[in-house]
This record gives sequence, structure tokens and C-alpha cells, in this order.
Amino acid sequence: MTDAGRLARWAALPVAAGALALAALAVAHGSRPLYDGSWLLLDDTGGLFLAVSAMVGLAGVLLSPAYLRGREGAHARGSEAWYYGVLFAFWLALLAVPLCANLALAWLIIDATTASSALLVAFSGRREALEAGWKYLILTALGLSLALLGIIVIGIAQALIHHHDLSALSFGALRRDADLLPHGTILAGFVLLIAGLAVKIGWAPVHNWLPDAHSEAPAPVSALLSAALLPTVTLVAWRVKDALAPALGARTAATVFIAFGVASILIAIPFLWRTMPWKRLLAYSTLEHMGIIAVGIGFGSRLALTGVAIHVAGHAFGKALGFYSAMPLGPDEQPTPGHPRPGLLARRRLPAIGMGISLGTLAGLPPSPLFVSELLIVLGGIATGHAAVSIVVAAALALGFLGLLHAMLEGVVGDDAPGRVLPAAEVAS
Amino acid sequence: MSPALVTVILASGLAVIVARRRSVAIALLAVQSLALSVGAFTLTGGRSAAFLVASGVLAVKALVLPVLLYALMRRTREPHLVAAARGPVSRLAAASALVLLAAVTVPRIPGTGAYVEHAAVGLLLTGMAIVATRRPALHQLLGMIVAENGCSLLAVAVPGGLAYLIEVGALFDLVLAITVAALFMQRIHTLLGTGNTELLRGLRD
Repeated sequence: MTDAGRLARWAALPVAAGALALAALAVAHGSRPLYDGSWLLLDDTGGLFLAVSAMVGLAGVLLSPAYLRGREGAHARGSEAWYYGVLFAFWLALLAVPLCANLALAWLIIDATTASSALLVAFSGRREALEAGWKYLILTALGLSLALLGIIVIGIAQALIHHHDLSALSFGALRRDADLLPHGTILAGFVLLIAGLAVKIGWAPVHNWLPDAHSEAPAPVSALLSAALLPTVTLVAWRVKDALAPALGARTAATVFIAFGVASILIAIPFLWRTMPWKRLLAYSTLEHMGIIAVGIGFGSRLALTGVAIHVAGHAFGKALGFYSAMPLGPDEQPTPGHPRPGLLARRRLPAIGMGISLGTLAGLPPSPLFVSELLIVLGGIATGHAAVSIVVAAALALGFLGLLHAMLEGVVGDDAPGRVLPAAEVAS
Repeated sequence: MSPALVTVILASGLAVIVARRRSVAIALLAVQSLALSVGAFTLTGGRSAAFLVASGVLAVKALVLPVLLYALMRRTREPHLVAAARGPVSRLAAASALVLLAAVTVPRIPGTGAYVEHAAVGLLLTGMAIVATRRPALHQLLGMIVAENGCSLLAVAVPGGLAYLIEVGALFDLVLAITVAALFMQRIHTLLGTGNTELLRGLRD
């Protein structure tokens, strides 16, 4: 391991320990926030997201040497310090978002994650990675401009009731003033903001960057993007929904989330049935799971929100494990249209077991925590009068379950001739 | 803000989508950013000192960004003009249609002038249209900045002014994004010999 790697490892441990301690304090304090100021918010929900980002980030730093070892040449060695520097910047920003009590501040930090994560997505320098990184940078920057316009409109609504300073955009102030805010203005601001954040979260139909960035990024970065970044941005959207629901009407706020959620699930399902490389399959699974989380937040009942909390944690575990398991796999060990059964278990036992557990967890195969969370979300939907949506979601999840199970049986357990190496052109296709 | 200035801001945004040469597009963006900062300074009377700071930030942005973009353009010379996916008339028509759509569909926001509000949303959509219809990476970056200028236009029009920290913070993030985009552009140029993003279309399902 290089000096940069050793330094990163030693720096990551106290960062993760501090974040986990803070998260534990917040969760242990119960439903009342441990601290609720104009800038800093420490509550149980934020604590959960903080803990997830801390764990996934720590694992990312610890496993990065394995990724970097695969790279060769003087340029690769020289770029390690750069890699760790940007990775830490990205990780620290991710840890800060769940602690933000102010919408404008949260937006600024989320916007800053785009710069660092785009660089990491393109780190390999491959043509496809550059394409994915550029697409990610431009699309999410545009989405965040839309979100900024939404924040400005919400700021105008606050200015109309004579609140001009930045603290007027804290979640507490928005909640406190919600009854006074003009409905039309707040609705316009909310829709612009959520539509903009949807691009960053990767909700359909504005998810184009997601499969490319997740599949081309280094595996530790893919895990951070999928298991930590996207849920963390979802948390900001969730906090805005909660704060503004009295001004918008609870039904209206819920409908926006449910619409994005159902669209994401329905668009992801056909891709879960297709034969594609592991990381790309995991990326489409992320689209599905961000959709499930959105639907749960939209339902908003205690049952559904408990499901969301379990889902965020379970998804983080399953997705990070999947990306790390895919890390050592070469092109001939990837399912492709011309090679759907790489028979991973027969050739690479450890990655195969990891990928199998990951796909089983993400599919919701009992005893996966995602089985429980999805059940709670669907039941929560029925309890809040969203029976039709719940039935559609349950049916789609069943199809998604079968798709991932199919991928697991074909790609992990499949008995294709071991050691078969595909021609490069076939792999590329 | 005077309707004439708002018209200049909107028209220069629409002109970016038509401009063939990167240098012309950068000049148009400079005009737009300058008009925006002049517009902000005209509103400082009766507003807080913080708003004056925000107006100053916009002026700095108007002066510094075009210089940075010009330097970037010089470092990534194109061997020949990159053909656009659509002709200039259809690009302008598409962007104008988006601006009109914004004027028709966006609900009135009390406290800001209707013209400013429509122009702000129209600029955001124009920025998106530039990204969608122009192939050179630099043009796509300019589209991002045009969209951001739409946000700034609405922010300065807020009665009493929006907290200047948002403007400062947004500018910081914009500079960060442009720096990263510049790194990308150089790498794309090194790899492909051109900034034509049409050549980066290998990822499909």
C-alpha cells in the first residue's frame, strides 16, 4: 500500500468513528432532535443517513487500495494521492448533508458533491468513463440549477412575509411559517426544487446519467454514489416535503414523490431482466430502490416511513457489497448479451458469494431486510388509502425480484464453461 | 430591473444557442453577465449593504468567467468547426418555444415582475436547450452558465433581495463546476482531438 493509501486509512477511521458516534447519539435521543438550529440539525432520521454514509465511506476508503492495485504505470501511482483527496472531499460533503438544517446550505453542499464525484467517476480515464463523468456533471448541474430556482422561489415566498435572511430557508423556519406562505408560490417552488433534486437522485424519467456513472466509476465510488449520495439527497427532498406539507397540502406533496417513485420502479424493472455487466445491473437496481424509497416517503405513514428507514440501511449494505464484489471481476466474468452465464461460483468463489448475497438482498429474498421494508411500505400505502398504487408497486417489485433472482441464477450459479474468454468485440458490444 | 436590460439578458442567452463560433458564444455570455450585474446595481437603492455585495459578486463573475472560458477555449483548439446537431433556425425556434412555454405555464409569483420571472425561467430552459442541441463541450458548459444566470436574474429581482450568501455560495459552486468541467474538456480534447461530445456516445442499453 502506498503512503497515500496508509494515510487515507488512518484518517478514515476517526472520521467514520466521529460520524457514527454522532449518529448513535442522534438515534438514541429518539424522535425529538438532539439539536435543531438554523444551520445544524441532529435528529434520528439524519442520524441514520449519517451512519450509512459513514459506513459506506469507510468501506470505500479501506477497499480502495484493492481497486488502485489493478491500475498500472507511473501515472496511476502518481494519481493515488489525488484519488484519495477527492474521495475524502466527496465523503466529507456527504457526511455534512444529513446535518444541514438549512435548505440553501444543503443545496450548496450537494452541488459541491457533483464536482468531486464527477472527477471520481472519470478517474479510470477510459473513454466510457469520461463520457459518463461528463454526462453526470452537466446533467446534474442543470438539475441543481432547477433546484436553485425552486429555492429562490421559496425564498420569495418567505420574503413576502418579511423574512429576508438566510435563516428563513431553514427547515424549522419553513415548517413554522408554512401556514403563512402563499400556496401558489410555494407549490411552484416545491415542484421546481423536487424536479431539480430528482435529477441528482436519479429518479425516472431524469435518470439518464445514473446507469453510466455507476457502471463506469471505480467500485468504491459506485458504492458511495448508490448507497450514500442518492439516499442523502433524497433526505433533503424528504425534509422539504415535511416542512412544506402544511402549505402545499399533504396530498399534493405526497403525489409528487409517489409519481417519481412509481415511474422509477416501472422504468427500472425491464432492465433488471436484461443481461448486462454486474455494475450496470446494480445501477438499474439503484433506480428501482430510489423509487421504492420515494414511494415510501410519499405514503408518509409511520409504517411506510419505518420501511423507508430499514430500506435505506438494507439497500446500502446490499448495494455496497455488490459493487465491492464486482471489483475484482474481469470482462470475461461479466454477464453480457453474448455470454449470459459466466458461472461465477465455479471460478471466483468469494466474489460470487458476495454478489449472490448482494443480489438476494436487493431482490428482497427473505430474510433480506428489504423484504421487510418493502412489505412495510406497501402496507403503509394501503393504510393511507393508496391501495391502487400499492398494488402496482407490489406487482412491479415481484417482477423486479424475479429479474434479480434470474440474474443471480444465470450469472452467479450458472455453469458456463470455465475460463472461456470472449473476444474483445463481443465484450464491448 | 428595466425591461430593456431584461431583454438584453434574455436575447443574449438565446443568441448563445445560435452562435457558431465558441469565441462569439463566450462574448455573448459576457454581455449577458454584465447586463445582469448592471441590472443588480440599478436595484441597490433602498436595499441592504448585503445586496450591494451580491451585485459586486455578479460583476466579478461577469468579468472573470469570460476570461477563464476564453483561456480554456485557447487551450482546447478545435481543428475545425463542430457541426451542430440541428440548424441555427431550428435551434432558435426550439429555445424560443421553450421561453414562450415558460411564459404561459409558470404561475405568477407575487413580488417579482412578470417579465423578469418569465425571462428567468426562460433562460433556465434555454440553458437546457443549449446543452441538448450543441455538440461542443464548451457550448454545453455555456448552457450550464446561462441556466445559472436565469437563477441569478430571479434572485436579484426578489423584493428586498435574497440573502447574498446564496449568490456567493452559488458562484463558488459554479466556479467549482467550471473548474471540473475545464479538466474534463482538456481530457476529452486529449483523447479525441476535439471537444465534440457527439463522439462520446458509446454507453447505451
